[in-house]
Amino acid sequence: MAKKRTKNIQMKCIITIELGTNAVRVFAFDLEGNVIGSLKGYCPTFHTEPDHSEQDPEQIFITMLYVLKNLLNEKIHPKKYKVASICFSSSMHSVLAVDKNSNPLGNAITWADNRAIKEARELKNSALGKSIYTATGTPLHPMSPLTKIAWFKNSDKDRFRQAAKFLSIKSYIIQQLTGECLIDYSIASATGLLNIHTIKWEADALKFAGITSAMLPELIPVFSSAGKLKKAYQVSLGLSADTKIIVGSSDGCMAILGDGVNGEGRATITIEDSGAVRVMGGKTLQDERRRFFNYLLTEDCYVSGGPTNNGGVIFDWFARQFGDFKNPFDIEQSMQELITEASKVSVGSDGLLFLPYLLGERAPIWNANARGSYFGLNIKHEKKHFVRATIEGILYEIYSIGKTLEEHRNIKSLSINGSFGTIPFCTQMIADMFNKPVKLRPNFHSVSFGAFLLAATEMGIYKSLDEAVQKVELTEEYKPQKQNHDVYAGYFDVFKNLTAGLSDQFEAIAELQHKQAVSQQNDNVKKKGK
Amino acid sequence: MNQFVLQQGMSKELRLFPHILELGIRKNISIQLGSFPISSAGGIRIYYVIEGKFEWCINHQPCVLFPGDAALILPDQSFGSENGVLEIGSFSWMHLNIQKLESGEIITGKWSSLSESESLAIGKILQLNTSPVLLKFNEAGRIFKSLQTELFNHEIGYHACVNHLLDELFIQITRHLTRQSNPGRDFPKTFMNLEQALRQNLSHQWTVEEMAALVGLGTTLFNEKVKNYSGFSPINYLINIRISEATKMLKRPEISLTDIALDTGFYSSQHFSTTFKKLTGYTPSEFRKNHLNEK
Repeated sequence: MAKKRTKNIQMKCIITIELGTNAVRVFAFDLEGNVIGSLKGYCPTFHTEPDHSEQDPEQIFITMLYVLKNLLNEKIHPKKYKVASICFSSSMHSVLAVDKNSNPLGNAITWADNRAIKEARELKNSALGKSIYTATGTPLHPMSPLTKIAWFKNSDKDRFRQAAKFLSIKSYIIQQLTGECLIDYSIASATGLLNIHTIKWEADALKFAGITSAMLPELIPVFSSAGKLKKAYQVSLGLSADTKIIVGSSDGCMAILGDGVNGEGRATITIEDSGAVRVMGGKTLQDERRRFFNYLLTEDCYVSGGPTNNGGVIFDWFARQFGDFKNPFDIEQSMQELITEASKVSVGSDGLLFLPYLLGERAPIWNANARGSYFGLNIKHEKKHFVRATIEGILYEIYSIGKTLEEHRNIKSLSINGSFGTIPFCTQMIADMFNKPVKLRPNFHSVSFGAFLLAATEMGIYKSLDEAVQKVELTEEYKPQKQNHDVYAGYFDVFKNLTAGLSDQFEAIAELQHKQAVSQQNDNVKKKGK
Repeated sequence: MNQFVLQQGMSKELRLFPHILELGIRKNISIQLGSFPISSAGGIRIYYVIEGKFEWCINHQPCVLFPGDAALILPDQSFGSENGVLEIGSFSWMHLNIQKLESGEIITGKWSSLSESESLAIGKILQLNTSPVLLKFNEAGRIFKSLQTELFNHEIGYHACVNHLLDELFIQITRHLTRQSNPGRDFPKTFMNLEQALRQNLSHQWTVEEMAALVGLGTTLFNEKVKNYSGFSPINYLINIRISEATKMLKRPEISLTDIALDTGFYSSQHFSTTFKKLTGYTPSEFRKNHLNEK
């Protein structure tokens, strides 16, 4: 019976599309969850002003079409697979204003955009902010669409007046494909505008943003169909009219789903350029100090945790400054050599500590003015100590998010994904710091696999997401080494105290840096004026 | 090294080289007031500092040059010392006529043995360059010295040799400029700079040679890096930007389809229409109709 079913469904496949802040990634899976093929297409983030971070929605759409079409033509159509469904995921917190014809008013603003810093601060320091955070689960931070839309209202009045709706990037892309204007619970729960307990738009938040619920897309569960592909796309992509378009979830929720994390005692760590530590469960985290996010995956499933700005991007920075480049632009080799160098230094870098806050920090300290620092230098330290200390610093920060999560949840084991976190040297270090086993699947794309599980569950291949995650097998395990943990634990105390102790100096140095940057900018403008 | 100046029309040494307007070495042993005012000229000017420190103003940018540095002044850009003062020190320089095409692009000229596409690529890179000082560019000193020797000694083959040296000078300047702005470490940033250059000159008929030279890589490695990083071949990435920009313009009723096609770098509206339909499934006019009349 089971065999027969396999035969029957063999020729069907599921496509997942991830809309990220630097690339569109498209994967094709057979119904067993094996990857048939994958392609990516780069999509730039523009920084037209220091605090701004934008993406062109049209370029994302065109890139998505291009990548999807190539994957279909190369791997799917020649092998006569039938695409059963296409499931979407995207990064969180994006905002795109559109006019009454649904045409974009400028670029979309990404999570990394800090223009709404004033609105976020105002809200954070108010009683209203506290109740909005409790209702919506989204930290009061410039990343939140709530504060971004408020920024439009205050600082870009023309665009705000012309805007008929405020969409997420994913809503826009799906609307182009099918004509429907929708937002799934996950992405909606990261806007700061959705009450995650009632799953309705939160009136106080809408009021602060200056909009009504009619100016937002229609709310639907992550499994919902997002309408039919427009005829022209059916023809140009070679897909049939019954191809199901599933609205899907956010990259964060998909990553934890794809790692098979569910139930008690487990957490998952993602470290790409930025990073996060997440847990999943039936309840939100109620943190007095509001250090966590609580996002919705489904009506009764929350993904909670803390994000960091300073992941692999910091090691990239280090490699570019101090690595050897034997071939132009060969950062992989340069990093490989640095890691070899770091592995020759003893655990704890003989007392050299690194605070990785080069990009300011979100969880757990939520301080945009935090800055990086090396501490504990003595005359015996060499370059290789700096290499190891840099990696340790990035991971102490991950550990510090994990420790705050442990104030609320009992975590027994970890899984890890993302290009930086899955470097074996880093994975072992995480196991040692946390003193917990860490599991992973090498060369595995958790976000896309999460989207596959969601689509497969929608098709009825699995009865529920709970059953689907049983399917995930993390094949590699890194065991903690107690003696290393003890060394890290000692230094981590200093790391934590140093971060806390420097908070005034972070303000002072950030202000001076800002002042100097502004005066240099003015000088440049003057020079050009001449 | 002694001072000298060769000038087109005056010096017999330059008779076979009408493109060389001026070549010389100047040693300045005391500060000269009013002897180095700001001026503009038609050709391209290259100054190489041998000794001393000079504060010059190139295309309205104040610059300080130390020994080994060279200044690059493009046609019609202003150059000189802001208060006309010439400081103590010595430098060599050359003033070279360069061909300007109707489209505004510059190419080396008939004397050059560079291919047309390479010559165009070099011209494009010089024009896109925003930092007129080439730091530690000793090649310029070496080439100037060889030029001097060839022009004065008339050894066998000197005619070809001088023109080869000029080609080499342009090649070295181009390579130096791209390395100076792309030190070969940060590919994401370098790719961003390239993408910006493409966007700002979208109607230009970019070649892979030009793009690769702008990044400072050979075409083979460039293709590989771009494909790895972006998932696109360089030309497909360019087409992708073209279609994205065209999509935006199609949503504004006041621009004609022909203008959109040409502004975004397609040969014709037919070429635009075919490429657009292949990717999006709509012809540009269908697409426009759909997006202007929704709701």
